[in-house]
Amino acid sequence: MTTSKIDIRGWGAVTTLGWSARESAENLLAGKVLAGDFCTSSHLINRELKAYEITYTGNPLEKAWAMIDSALTEAFSRAKLTAAEIAESCLLVGTTGGLLIRNEYEFAEIVRQNPGKESPAITCRNRGPGEVADAIARKYGINGMIMTFSMACVSSSHALVVAAQLLRQKKVRRAIVVGFEPLLNLTLQGFASLLLYDDEQCRPFCASRSGMQIGEASAAVIMEASSSSSKSKSAYRFAGGYLFNDNNSLTSAGVDGALAGNVIGQTLTAAQITPAEIVAIKAHGTGTRDNDLSEGRGLTRVFGDNLPPVVSLKGAIGHTLGAAGAVETALWLACLEEGMLPKSFGFTQIDSDLGFAPSQVNIPAKDGAYLFTFFGFGGTCTSYIIMKEH
Amino acid sequence: MNLIMSNKNKIMSSIPVVAASYLGPSLTPNLDVAWDESKLPLSPDDLVQKIMGQPMRRAGRFIKMVCCGALTCLKSVPPEELKDKKIGIFLATGLGNVDEILPFITQVFKHEGGFPSPNQFANSVSNAAAFFLAKISEIKGVVLTVSQEELSFESALWLAQSYLERGEIELALVGGCDVFTPTVADYRERMDLKPDNSRSMRMGEGSSWLLIGNTSGKKIGNILSVTLDHNPKTELSNENILSESEKIASQFTGMQNKQKTILPGFRLTDIDQSFFKNKGWKVEDYLPHCGIHPTATAYGLARSLLSGTSAFFVHCNYHAAGRRAMVVATTE
Repeated sequence: MTTSKIDIRGWGAVTTLGWSARESAENLLAGKVLAGDFCTSSHLINRELKAYEITYTGNPLEKAWAMIDSALTEAFSRAKLTAAEIAESCLLVGTTGGLLIRNEYEFAEIVRQNPGKESPAITCRNRGPGEVADAIARKYGINGMIMTFSMACVSSSHALVVAAQLLRQKKVRRAIVVGFEPLLNLTLQGFASLLLYDDEQCRPFCASRSGMQIGEASAAVIMEASSSSSKSKSAYRFAGGYLFNDNNSLTSAGVDGALAGNVIGQTLTAAQITPAEIVAIKAHGTGTRDNDLSEGRGLTRVFGDNLPPVVSLKGAIGHTLGAAGAVETALWLACLEEGMLPKSFGFTQIDSDLGFAPSQVNIPAKDGAYLFTFFGFGGTCTSYIIMKEH
Repeated sequence: MNLIMSNKNKIMSSIPVVAASYLGPSLTPNLDVAWDESKLPLSPDDLVQKIMGQPMRRAGRFIKMVCCGALTCLKSVPPEELKDKKIGIFLATGLGNVDEILPFITQVFKHEGGFPSPNQFANSVSNAAAFFLAKISEIKGVVLTVSQEELSFESALWLAQSYLERGEIELALVGGCDVFTPTVADYRERMDLKPDNSRSMRMGEGSSWLLIGNTSGKKIGNILSVTLDHNPKTELSNENILSESEKIASQFTGMQNKQKTILPGFRLTDIDQSFFKNKGWKVEDYLPHCGIHPTATAYGLARSLLSGTSAFFVHCNYHAAGRRAMVVATTE
């Protein structure tokens, strides 16, 4: 748990909505959202699974690096970080697949160039999830602590909470938190094999929902303790966070909502915020039957009949897995900067088991507390509150 | 605890080590037993049966190794000392569940179109192993999987200390696990091993764990400091290692009666044993017992902490990019 004055100094993102958090937010708020579609990238071998694929003219590996660079450049620019400040920062990365994109791209090329032949033995030449952080640190001259969390869907949301904890303890001066997730055959086929995929559309909290759709994205969020900020005070503060690992189920947070409700409750306690003070909720909302049931019931347990507006971004950008924490935070902050909260895409009908509809219109973004929730494989849960202040 | 924070990401706060365990390629817990690289990987199923009393049917090898190593550590502590304690799990792994990812991807890429196993995919997710361990050991709350190549274990240990200092947990089960996955050439490439940046040695594997924090019971040693120095220009020469180690040793009382020992990581190619011996330091080369793997540090430290000798240890390694890590520990 964290209770601290941690400023969010900058952010950047690349999603299917745009090559910056700002562009993504503008398109999101303007309703310029395309549903997931069949993928065209050369390394993806299944053309029957829909996903949220970022358009790019180069090869998939080039695109992956371009995504990371664009997100970091935007974040550094917004934060007005000097080279010295970048150097002394720590880097926390959340990713599921890391640079497996290289492996998949190279192997797909070999297979493509040898049609009809037996598949060669596939190798795995990437250096593990930590390779992304190492490459970023080298390229941008980051000399502080670097660490990678590879924890499925909560990888970068966990990284954000851990970063805030380390800032509060004064163990680091500034934290650059990166989320990165390219589209991979591994994850596309993997979630499809678990029957968690919706062939048609991602429909968070909708009665007709039947699964998730994966999206690719990258983002960077820069945080530092308020007292050490050398620039004018940020309008956004990380007020508190909570991470928790349950051990009941590898794939479900429990559909009664008790776990989700408890995690949310602990987060409110950590941030010293009451349920009534929450302006809106950026929900995990994956579109799977169980996750949305679990989370929806958890929200109801905490907020009862006074549920604030609930928004899932996954109907607009897909489930970006390990990058979700950083990406959805950056996108949300960019929307707040535009003065509006986005609607939740993909919803058409209230699920009677949930009893609420996610927000269906853009609404003005008031000052106050915004709740973020994420749930993932392995019983992992993250939740945190970001304050929008003058 | 005396906390010192410097620009070298150094934490110097003595934290007790309650228990340790090390498991290498021979799959014999806490024992140095000869092994043959050409015969790896060995099946862990007998060990699983022995430690857990039943098979782990749905788990891959990486998950089994994690659980066997960690439970060996936990079970060495009287249960009453762990009762009602808030324990956090910090699993460090450089390469993760490569043993599950490879066959899964192979299925996915089959020319005739494979349908991959959902169980295999679920097990290939990096934090699946930590989940299984948490479930078996009935631990909830802080369960993290940290991955930073060959500095993964040091990073996890550093992070665990921050949680202990904050009081969010009372004990931390910190471990490093990486498994041998063929081919040796691919494994070496995965770890960016070249003749000029690593020792010439067999590839191996391990699952080695420390239980750190405060209990009312006995302790086997202390972690005195974890330093992660991210200045690539820092040299890890014999002289610098000695100088840094002597400086650290001088900050703690009672070191004069302990055997001062260097534990060299696999990137240290020029360790001069006679140089250190002349300065009163012993070099304990643990790598032949476990082989090179990203989290070999955990093996070296656990083995030293269980050595039964009264010693002051300094483990040094660095990342191929030049970042270095030093862990200092003592045994009782």
